Formats: sequence, structure tokens, C-alpha cells
Amino acid sequence: MIIDVNAYLGPFAFRRLRHNTAASLLALMDAKGIDKAVVSSAAAITYRNAQAGNEELMEEACRHRDRLIPFAVLNPFYAGWQDDLKICHEEFGMTGLRLYPKWHNYGLSDACCAELIAAATERNVVISIPLRVEDNRQRSWLLNVPDVPQAEIVALVKAHPQARFLLLNGAGYVSSALGRKDNGLPPNYAIEISRLTAVLANELGQLLTNLGPDRLVFGTGMPFNYPDPALVKLEVLDTPEPDKERIRHQNAATWLRL
Amino acid sequence: MTISQITASLSGSRPRVSRRTLLKSSAAVALGATLPLTGGTAGQSVPDASGSPPAKGKVIDCHAHLVHHSRATWEADDRKLIEAADKLGIDQLCCSMLTPKRPATAEGFRQCNQWTAEAMRRFPGRVLGYCYVNPGYGPEALDDIRRCVEERGFIGIKLYNEHTCTEPVVFPVVELAIELGVPILHHAGHSHYFVEDQPHMSDSGHFAELARRYPEMMLICAHITGGGDWEWTVKAARHAPNVYLDTSGSVTDAGSVEMAVTTVGAERVVFGCDMSMTAGVGKIRGANLSAQDKGKILSGNMMRLLGRRKS
Repeated sequence: MIIDVNAYLGPFAFRRLRHNTAASLLALMDAKGIDKAVVSSAAAITYRNAQAGNEELMEEACRHRDRLIPFAVLNPFYAGWQDDLKICHEEFGMTGLRLYPKWHNYGLSDACCAELIAAATERNVVISIPLRVEDNRQRSWLLNVPDVPQAEIVALVKAHPQARFLLLNGAGYVSSALGRKDNGLPPNYAIEISRLTAVLANELGQLLTNLGPDRLVFGTGMPFNYPDPALVKLEVLDTPEPDKERIRHQNAATWLRL
Repeated sequence: MTISQITASLSGSRPRVSRRTLLKSSAAVALGATLPLTGGTAGQSVPDASGSPPAKGKVIDCHAHLVHHSRATWEADDRKLIEAADKLGIDQLCCSMLTPKRPATAEGFRQCNQWTAEAMRRFPGRVLGYCYVNPGYGPEALDDIRRCVEERGFIGIKLYNEHTCTEPVVFPVVELAIELGVPILHHAGHSHYFVEDQPHMSDSGHFAELARRYPEMMLICAHITGGGDWEWTVKAARHAPNVYLDTSGSVTDAGSVEMAVTTVGAERVVFGCDMSMTAGVGKIRGANLSAQDKGKILSGNMMRLLGRRKS
């Protein structure tokens, strides 16, 4: 069993994506042995009204709820997010969010964001934050969106100890408090592996040592990314098989309350 | 030293990621395509310098680095690179060593190349050496290239970002590479903004211009997925038949390898990691290509380039 907590459907504004329909993504998942995937709208990253992307996602994924777990993209700096959260949670049955503070131009410490996190936590909704969408060096001439600094994530998880966070598309955690042993932070966040190294510096191994085997979750970033690099990491990772099983699916099932 | 000598001795350790899984275009297989799943470079006839039959089933990483000895852990770090290659099924690593501070001085690059030669002896058949130089040093750069290739068995030249490749100061290096019959692996990147810390960085457009001037040269454009706009990089190289695209880099954007093959042909794409090991291997494994094309990328093309060596 493999659960991918980091997948997407729909178009992205700056690059053609393959396998971005439900049918095509499911075929890719079958090919790679991935059983379930958390998906959100790639279009919602650049839509002004992200809720339109959530509606498109539901149209695409609603017939595949056994394998595709839809997450809502919400922008707490945009009108009506409270209504959107209610619709996504109660009508669409979405149990998680994806936030893009840099793309949507708000701060994780802004009052509006704190309000959204409190509302999501009240609903037991998990909050995932992609630290980047793509490598900033390949950005379009139209924009310059930085990665979410890990210091801002540190402040966030401290400020909301009851919330549950999934950190996606990040690396270099061992250089910040997030990846250090006995860091004094609440254990309210899990780290997705798609950009972590499993050989040479072996950040995956370091995080297993520092945080324990319950805090790492499998993710690929497909269809932005090939899913294979993440799968290869688990193949070559030097850790006992029970830990790999936790990373492959058990931790995700716990965090997603499947 | 001949290429057959250079490539003959390989570790007997069993990789966790086999060449078969690399060759297997698993997406296409599962989606219904029928692919030949061979264990070697199917359909390839790749001579080496001695004219002996091609080595079958190798995986050659065209872009790797050894650690400068100013880092206290260099020896263990180099060992980790070999161990990573063992796990990932990479047989040979084409390595250079860069100076920690650049632009490199002549003393600096000569020392790097001396240490690279030592690594080639420490890991025989696993580490193949690129001679790294700063072309701005003129005769000193040329002397070290000649010494490294003719006396130490280096397989090529590594150029970084000290000069844009179209500057005349680079031309003598290119001409010596042609004389020796060795490829140049050139650092590259194309972003849609001025990269302040690399003002002389080359891109594949520069390479295409240089390649028109020197159609005999073999120029490898480093890490198409090393952070810049890889679609631009691939398209700009299209009409330069002696420019090869190295798949290395930390970016794992789906479709990048396939676009390279579709645009320039599988014969001009070479496998590399540039130390992003699982990314490099995963991209090839995930690419929806035939086993024949993957065989060319994993080693066939690089073997062909190395086979043009004249000494």
C-alpha cells in the first residue's frame, strides 16, 4: 500500500502537465503501484478565486473517491473563504486544505491566516503547505514567487499547536528547527519526502533519527514531477522495513484519519 | 590508457535499483504499451577506443563531482558517492572536482585535477575523470588538459562559469578538445532573469552558437533540469547536432526527458545526476521512452562520445 499526500489535478498556468486528469493520474498511479493520492487543483494556485479550482477538482475527482482524496485550495485573503471552507468540507467532503501563502500574497502570521487555521482545526481539517510549486530559477518572466521560508513554518506550528500540518515540497529541514531532534516544537507536523535526499547527505535518514519514523509521509508531487524519484528514495533508504511501511502509507493514514 | 581499460573494471556489488528497472518504461508498460525489456543497450553498436565490442548493460553518470580536499570529510564523502552509485545501479561516474572559490586559479584547478587523478586510481573503473580548467589561464589550462588526457587517462574536459563559452578565450580549449577527441561538459542554465552570481554562465543558445563554429566538437550541456527553464534549454539546442543534453539536476519535472528526446533525438541525450542521485535515476526510470532509447541515454551515447578519443 502506498499513499501519496502530494498530487494534483488540472492545468498549471506556466507549464503543460501530463497525467492531470483523474483517469490519467489513476493510470499513472496503477503503473507505479500507488494506491491512493491526495489531490488538489493545480489551477487554483493561480486562479484569483481559488474556489473555482476546487469546484473543477470535484467534478474531476468525485467518481474516484476510493482512491483520490480531494483537498481544497483556500486563500484567506480573498472574499468568502469562510463560505468556501464550509462548502468544501460539508458539501464536497474535503478533509484537508492546501495553502499557498506566497502565491496568494499573504503571510502565515497574518490574522486572516490564523483565522482560517483556527476554523480548519475546529473542523478537524488537516492543513498542507507546499513550500514551493516549482524551482524558482525556472520561473516565468511574469512573476517571482519565493519558497515559503522554514522559519515562517516554525512560527506557524508553534502558534497553532492543535492544528495538523503536512509540509510538502520542502528540503533542508535538518538545517532548521523543523528537522532537529528535541526542537521544542509541537509534534503537529509531518514532512513529505519528494525533495529529500536518501543517499549522500541522506536527509531522510537524518529526519528519521531526529524526529522518529512517525513524522515522514510519502509524496511525489505528480503530475508536476515524475513519481519515480520518490519511489526510488524508499527503495534505497537504509531503514528497517517497518519504518518504510510507515512512510509508504501508515503515517499518511493516521494524519489523514483514513 | 584506453577506454576499454578505463571502463573494464567494475564493482561486483549488487545494486538495489537494477538497470532493468531503469530501462523499463513502467508507465508505458502499465498503460498498455509493449516494450522490449532488455538488459543491455539494445540495438546499439558502441565501439570503444580499442575497437573491441561495446560494453553491454552499463549505466554511466555523465555528470558527477568529487569533493575538494579542503573539506575534512572529503574521503568519506567520495566513498558515499560510490556507495550511492552501487545502490542505484550506476556503474561509472564521470567526475570533476571544482575549486571551492571561483574563478579558479591555475594552481587551484591543477590541484583539483591531481586529486581527481588520485580518485581514479582509488576507484578504478568507477570514477572517470574530467579535467577542470579556467580557460582564462590560456597555456596553463591547455597544458593541464593535455597532461590529464594523454598521461592520466581523463575522459573529457569540464568547464564551469568563468567565461561564457562563446568568448574567444574559450576557443583554444575547444580546439584542443577536438584534437584530443574528448567531450566538454559545460555548466549551463537559462533563467528569465539575470543570474547575478553567475554573470558569465552559458546556456544552450550559446552552445548552439559555439557548435556552429566548431561542428567537430562534442559539447555536453550540463543539467537541463538544474533549475533553469528546461523547455527553453532543450529547444535552443535543437539545431546543434554536436550538442548533447545531460539529464541531471535536482528538478524532477515530468516530461523533461521525453521532451529532450522528442526535440533533439535520443542519440543526443545523456544520463546524469550531478549529485542529485535519486532524482537523476528516477527521471530516467519514469520517462515514457522505449528501452532502446533508454539504453542510449544510460550509456550508449556516452560510450560513443568516449570512443572518439584519439589517444
